[in-house]
Amino acid sequence: MVVNPKPIEIFCGTGGVGKTTLATSRALELASQNKKVLLITIDPAKRLKQILGLENTEAGEVQTISSNIFPGYEQNEFSFDALLMSPRATLRRMKWEAGTEREFENPIIDILARPNGGMNEIMAIIEVQHHLGKQNYDTIVLDTPPGKHFIDFLQASLKIKQFFDKSFIEIFKFLGKKFQRSSEKEGTGFLAMIVSSGVKKLLKYLQKVTGEEFVETFVDAVVAIYKNRDSFLEALKFQDRLRQIENSNWFLVTSVEQHKIDEANTLHSHAVEFMHGDSYLCINKCLRSHLEDWNPSNSQYLHVRNSMLDRENKIKEFASRNFEKVIDFPEVLGTSPAQHVSELAEAWKMS
Amino acid sequence: MNSHDVPRLIVVTGKGGVGKTSLALAITKQLHESGVKVLYNSFDQITNEKLSDQMELPYWEMSTAKSAETYIAKKLGSEMVAGWIMKTPFFKSLFNMIPGLGMMILLGHIIEKLQNDPDLHIVMDSPSSGHAITMFESSHNFKEMFGKGMIVDDINRMHQFIYNEKRLKSIVVTLPTLMAVNEGIELRKSLNDLEITDVSLIVNDAIHLAEELVGQEEELPDFLSKKVAMEKEVVSEFEGEFAKILPHLSTSNEVENIKGLTKHLEGLW
Repeated sequence: MVVNPKPIEIFCGTGGVGKTTLATSRALELASQNKKVLLITIDPAKRLKQILGLENTEAGEVQTISSNIFPGYEQNEFSFDALLMSPRATLRRMKWEAGTEREFENPIIDILARPNGGMNEIMAIIEVQHHLGKQNYDTIVLDTPPGKHFIDFLQASLKIKQFFDKSFIEIFKFLGKKFQRSSEKEGTGFLAMIVSSGVKKLLKYLQKVTGEEFVETFVDAVVAIYKNRDSFLEALKFQDRLRQIENSNWFLVTSVEQHKIDEANTLHSHAVEFMHGDSYLCINKCLRSHLEDWNPSNSQYLHVRNSMLDRENKIKEFASRNFEKVIDFPEVLGTSPAQHVSELAEAWKMS
Repeated sequence: MNSHDVPRLIVVTGKGGVGKTSLALAITKQLHESGVKVLYNSFDQITNEKLSDQMELPYWEMSTAKSAETYIAKKLGSEMVAGWIMKTPFFKSLFNMIPGLGMMILLGHIIEKLQNDPDLHIVMDSPSSGHAITMFESSHNFKEMFGKGMIVDDINRMHQFIYNEKRLKSIVVTLPTLMAVNEGIELRKSLNDLEITDVSLIVNDAIHLAEELVGQEEELPDFLSKKVAMEKEVVSEFEGEFAKILPHLSTSNEVENIKGLTKHLEGLW
């Protein structure tokens, strides 16, 4: 099976299955075919930085990775680009682009954009769409956060959409006027609308528990976000591309290492509404070839062998029920992450 | 087992796929069978709720949304108003945009539940790595954001519980590979940076300790002896770092796996 490259290649799966390593190997393999590749990771575990030898301080900036750090790829040097997501860096770019540096001098936004502040998924969508829009790359390989956080990631654009829903536009205008200390008088109809939308009431309740000072900062933060709505709304296009067969390859990664079948099943059922039918299941860390060659005479060993084979068979069964295209990747026995990437890149060639 | 030696809140975390859920359920089972009053909590994640049911283990679940609604109702003294606030599209989308807020309130509820019942213990199947940090960091972030007021008072009460020794224990689960152990140590450091000091590393799924393989004379096949050698190397390199090294269990059945793990947890408390 040859996996044809597409503009977006998205790797998702439950945690600990080797998603990041596999995504990196795909980037290496595509780059070796002379494709221009950008690898993006939003996995908060930042495992990619270990694999690529990048420091945390460089998060948020595109780095060029030479093929010669991977064993077996030292000759005929080529490269691909890699980006560790940083919500703060995305925010910096956004405010520069929209000319809203002043509005973004806001303690609430500042705190939320910290590396673990909780805005990672939404910022990630904005960043990915930004790079897609620039069209500098043949393929963007996307490593996603594990498990439920991957669903959060897929739903991020839905959350953006809700936030900038039409019915809010007027509310933002109202808040915006307040922010600009505009002297313009509000018409009674407009005021009635604000009251019925409940924002005023909501702010009053908020004030009750947090105090007036916070409410003002909060309103400023909402206005700042509203002034950058173009970046947020642009990110909605990403969702559409993910649904188009010609634009994206989906790789659901699972492994035979742990008891992953139920998790993979649950994740698949949640992700399926965002996917198109043309997707691949990658089974990582397969030991089958080793296990089939092992014929122990000892009954204890036989028990170990059979339970390991049984795990692989259960995964296979799940795979054949839900996916037409299944790719096996062997377990790599070696301690160097770069070695893992090289060997998995070879497996892409054979698949 | 003396239940006074068992931490009130046991937070099981680690990178994804290391067996957090299995270990959290195994700990719940161990405590439950020792007569300790304990509840399992999945922290509103997609998990196999069937498992805690299937194993007849006591659990307590609350969604982040329900948790927020309950909290708002209490603060404003009205369930109706809270229900209305949660339904306003503005708050709903704001709440979704800032997951740290929901995490903080849910953690607050778990702690409140513990404060209301001095005999109770909760085993939390925590979100993985970075999201566990978000869970613990959020209260500091929001405290800074709000500055003062009722919410800050509540956060302070929460911190009193979290930062009191012997009440909270975090367990970072990892696997016996170099990369996984490094990530585990990194996570422990991040937790320590948040002044969460009681953090134990537990290695899961060690094939070199699998009871079927230990003490046998027949030679192991190449791939397994390589795995065993790599694991032993990692374990000796990080000697003294681990509170426990749990063996690989030869079963493909999740319930059997959890039951098996339970037998290897002695001496943890």
